Amino acid sequence: MAAPDPIVPQTGSKQPGAAPPPATPGRSNEASSPMREAWGQFLKNRPAVFGLALLAVIVGLVLYGHFIFDADPYDIVWMPLTPPGEEEGIWLGTDFLGRDMFTGLMKGGAPTLAVGLSAALITVVIGITMGSLAGFFGGWLDDLLMRLTEFFQVLPALLFAMVLVTLFSPSLWTIAFAIGIVSWPQTARLTRAEFLRIRELEYVTAARSIGAGNGRIIWRVILPNALPPLIVSATLTIGVAILFEAGLSFLGLGDPNTMSWGLMIGQNRNYLLDAWWPVTLPGLAIFLTVFAVSLVGDGLNDAFNPKLRSR
Amino acid sequence: MADPLMSLRDLRVEFDTRHGRVTALSGISLDVMPGETLGIVGESGCGKSITALAMMGLVPNPPGHVTGGQILFQGEDITRAKPRRLRRLRGREIAMIFQEPMTSLNPVFTVGDQIAEAILLHQDVSRAQAEKQVVDLLATVGIPEPARRAKAYPHELSGGMRQRVMIAMAISCRPKLLIADEPTTALDVTVQAQIFDLMRDIQREFGVAIVLITHDMGAIAEMTDRVAVMYAGRIIEQGTSDQILDNPLHPYTRGLIGCIPVLGREAGDAASLPPLAEIPGIVPPLHLLGDGCAFAERCALADDYCRAVRPPLEEKGHPVACHHAGQGVPA
Repeated sequence: MAAPDPIVPQTGSKQPGAAPPPATPGRSNEASSPMREAWGQFLKNRPAVFGLALLAVIVGLVLYGHFIFDADPYDIVWMPLTPPGEEEGIWLGTDFLGRDMFTGLMKGGAPTLAVGLSAALITVVIGITMGSLAGFFGGWLDDLLMRLTEFFQVLPALLFAMVLVTLFSPSLWTIAFAIGIVSWPQTARLTRAEFLRIRELEYVTAARSIGAGNGRIIWRVILPNALPPLIVSATLTIGVAILFEAGLSFLGLGDPNTMSWGLMIGQNRNYLLDAWWPVTLPGLAIFLTVFAVSLVGDGLNDAFNPKLRSR
Repeated sequence: MADPLMSLRDLRVEFDTRHGRVTALSGISLDVMPGETLGIVGESGCGKSITALAMMGLVPNPPGHVTGGQILFQGEDITRAKPRRLRRLRGREIAMIFQEPMTSLNPVFTVGDQIAEAILLHQDVSRAQAEKQVVDLLATVGIPEPARRAKAYPHELSGGMRQRVMIAMAISCRPKLLIADEPTTALDVTVQAQIFDLMRDIQREFGVAIVLITHDMGAIAEMTDRVAVMYAGRIIEQGTSDQILDNPLHPYTRGLIGCIPVLGREAGDAASLPPLAEIPGIVPPLHLLGDGCAFAERCALADDYCRAVRPPLEEKGHPVACHHAGQGVPA
């Protein structure tokens, strides 16, 4: 279209008393997006900021720890089951084979976090796809996808994941995949609920009225508005997935060739009565990580929930 | 007379509800001429908004179905158009503005982004060109500091400003038909007047035909060339605005006109003037409509014949659907 001649609005001249509405008063000139506002709200939440800092420390140690303390976690360094602090240089003791606990904790974090993140990612991708299709299109597709979701939901999660891991090789990928497969139904249901709510709102009709198609409405209109609860749920899923991985490893279904926190617990559990540290220390690491993730998730929840604002 | 821009031919729309299938529109026929303003007036639940959505091909489905009739836009029946063709018509040829400017903008994108999106959907221009058009459009609809406002999020604007943004989005591709579904209902009175002024300016500048849907007879008097009065899914009276306002024939139309408060009427005059009229009762639920006139239950003139036989839309000076058209005390 040709550049339109700017028409000077005539309202003012025709009705001397009626000036155009004043620029929104009392607001700063900075445009503030809903996401930026939520972030500001998040930063006011002390437990959440603490959780984020704790998570940053853990991730930092796991990713960059080996630059400082480079050692092979499979090396046998001292007597088996040496208590922490007994021997100089072996601050956290040794496990049942005499391997250094500290090195193990450093090296074992990366696979644990990787499995947690990948599982959460798989959960989110499957869950959002299923949920948005079901919620947006409704009808028989909704029925079909929701029955499928319920089928996966009623499967005993741990048992099903164990079957999957046993059938295929217990690699990190299989474990992440198994966790993702058993945890997506919740995300799907949440996404569907949000889509059902948002698709009835007027701005969706308005988007249609300018000629937007289904794909654009799903991606550009509904999904961005459905994101806040999904972000919260995805964050919490990371924590759940880490616990799940630990659970599988504890039952001896972890990847035996990759040092992870779960594997350390699983391999040392037979010696728990003789030595508490080879099980407790990785457990503590898992606890702190999941704790930090949960604090961040709760903080996000509060930040996105307008009803909790200004408290 | 020129060909109508849009015409509805005996349009029927039905909805599936828990009371079974009910008829929301039973045989609506309407013409919209290029460049004119047509008013559609009636209470809540009369089928005004469904008519508007049907004109966009946007009857919500499920639960709604267009079960009969035609919607001709420049001779093309859009009830049979393919979705792809419909998407090209929407926004480009037919645009719509909504009742609630608070909820008809997407809260997570800036208003500039949303207008640019409408432009990019229909025009082969670059992002930068679209953004330049956005600023021009915002200036056109009378938004001060358009370049800065384009970067604002909807919640940062007042209701009147948001409605201006909606109008800017609606006219971004110079449509031939603009459907305004109660565009000022959610706004206060001074802003209403400004929005109507703006719509008139837009009409003069772009030559767009406007379908104004409202329950406010004052808005009809101010804005429209022709009027269709709807009740319970049917058109019950149709004519030029002057015909309808000066010589209403249907008791329902008279009731609606009686509801307009007259400025300057003093409380002391109450003895000489009738009080502000009201129409008793409510629009009957669609699933409870019988064979007779849908308005009979609320009508002072109704008799047994009214309750038994539905009056057809007949020419009685102008088309009206009433057995007692023009009888009784004029409003």
